[in-house]
Amino acid sequence: MAWTFRFLEEIALADIAFDAEGESIEEVFRGATQALLQSMATPSTVAETWERTIEQRDVDPSALLYDWLSEVVYWKDAAGVVYREAPLTLTHEHDVWLLRARLIGAPVDQQTQELHADVKGITKHLYALKQTSDGWQARVVLDV
Amino acid sequence: MKLNTDMTVNRITDEIWEIPPSEKSGMLVPARIYATREILQAMDSGVFDQVTNVACLPGISRYALCMPDGHWGYGFPIGGVAAFDVHEGIISPGGVGYDINCGMRLIRTDLTLADVQPRLEQLMTELFRKVPAGVGASGFVRLSREEFRRVMTDGARWCVERGYGWHRDLVRMEEGGCIEGTDPSIVTDHAIQRGINQLGTLGSGNHYLEVQVVSNDGIFDPVTAAAFGITGHEQIVVMVHCGSRGFGHQVASDYLKVFEKSMRRYGITVKDQQLACAPFRSPEGQEYFSAMNCAANTAFANRQVITHQIREAFATVFGRSAEALGMELVYDVAHNIAKVERYPEGDLVVHRKGATRAFGPGSPELPGPFRQTGQPVICGGSMETGSYLLVGTDQAVRDTFGSTMHGAGRTMSRAQAKRTVRGAQLQQQMKQRGILVKAVSMSGLAEEAGVAYKNISEVVESVDRAGITKKVAELRPIGNIKG
Repeated sequence: MAWTFRFLEEIALADIAFDAEGESIEEVFRGATQALLQSMATPSTVAETWERTIEQRDVDPSALLYDWLSEVVYWKDAAGVVYREAPLTLTHEHDVWLLRARLIGAPVDQQTQELHADVKGITKHLYALKQTSDGWQARVVLDV
Repeated sequence: MKLNTDMTVNRITDEIWEIPPSEKSGMLVPARIYATREILQAMDSGVFDQVTNVACLPGISRYALCMPDGHWGYGFPIGGVAAFDVHEGIISPGGVGYDINCGMRLIRTDLTLADVQPRLEQLMTELFRKVPAGVGASGFVRLSREEFRRVMTDGARWCVERGYGWHRDLVRMEEGGCIEGTDPSIVTDHAIQRGINQLGTLGSGNHYLEVQVVSNDGIFDPVTAAAFGITGHEQIVVMVHCGSRGFGHQVASDYLKVFEKSMRRYGITVKDQQLACAPFRSPEGQEYFSAMNCAANTAFANRQVITHQIREAFATVFGRSAEALGMELVYDVAHNIAKVERYPEGDLVVHRKGATRAFGPGSPELPGPFRQTGQPVICGGSMETGSYLLVGTDQAVRDTFGSTMHGAGRTMSRAQAKRTVRGAQLQQQMKQRGILVKAVSMSGLAEEAGVAYKNISEVVESVDRAGITKKVAELRPIGNIKG
């Protein structure tokens, strides 16, 4: 696996903060997405009965990651679902970053799913996507 | 005195501490923190950094304030209060929060602990069934888009017209449960889609519904308590903490993006991206204010529908109507909001983020029942330690833009709380102590353990001694529903 994430303990006490790292921008998108999915429900407890295809583009990969994570939060409420996985690809052509992703999950079911936080939004507090000596890193604070 | 900051913090009184503008480049006014020495020493570094960032925002008046329940938030600290001139100042979603009009509601009853104890399990099960909680929960009210727009404009009034409550409830809400100055036409489709099915739901995190007891020795001001309908003698009351749900969250997200772009045009720079803002009188500022008011009204409506469900649950379990059980509203008050209020400086946009309005008896804005007493202030503690009913003072209006604390305030991160406490074990321990907890998420329950919060009694003591609110009654939990 070319991405990781870890939850941060001493940032924004009432909320959830995490760092995601990856060898490439695409990998860090995957790491950040997984951290967000796990903040809402344990993915392995969620079935695959709902799916939505998402395509987003932006010249700025940082803005694109923010918009993508916000979209994941949006569908949680708009469709009343939590997620099992969100496979994605990220390509860079003609100075534009293009995200193609599938959100896969199921309607919320308190009997069968291990549910966690009802994420309200992706904040801009300490938000960053940056290149490091090992690859790329994103810092995200979720309002919960 | 050792603090979690290198900044100079001067003592004004034993409960008021000031960081002078010389401590950070760009500060336009001092920052003031309301806290006892002990609470100040325990405050995390984020409070000092964030309250001084707020002091740099254009048009800020007098001070950037933080209440004793303050802790590291985003943009503003939680517990933050700041007022901005309506002509020269700004409005910022970071000073309101994602959960617009997150607030507290308290309902009294004529029931006593002796009445409720034998049926507590049945009552909590019925409440858990009737008030959906947790991730992605949807409510029983089905709305067309047109009806949802009416919720945005009419707030709790819409609920009462639809039979979800009593007309006299409206007098006992901040702004009568309906804030003017809404414009549903500027609300995005995304916001409507996120919120249209969520009326009457609690959410998760620190949101809850709690059945509480008021003992005689928990009443500090019997006259004011009686005026609020609180009589002691092991009286049962019900507290609700929740807000505007996905609708308000999306309004905040939408305008954060709008303001990020428009700040460049207005030549505004901020110390934290989450403090993105616009001049209050600008088109963007006015649009956000209108959209925020739409979300504030949906929050009043959300708590009103939940109140209706609570009354039905009690009526089912006790076999008497809610009226016969004396289930009158004590008050409903916002603690995440921006409002235009008049002070000696003129009209100011007062931002309260994790802070409660606390108008005193002299305030002309208060409706009849509270002209003599001052406005009820409802402060939720942790689910293990209890909560407080306070009353606003004229001193708050003079000193803190009519504002005070909102709750206990966290001292421990959610991750640390989950490592320290196991949800199922906590649920069992609380049951042994006489507090029945129903939770959607065991990890969410662990995050809200009492150990993760400040001692609310100490926090309340500091605002009482500072004179910006006075204690009325302590409320002890016996049943709690969490998302």
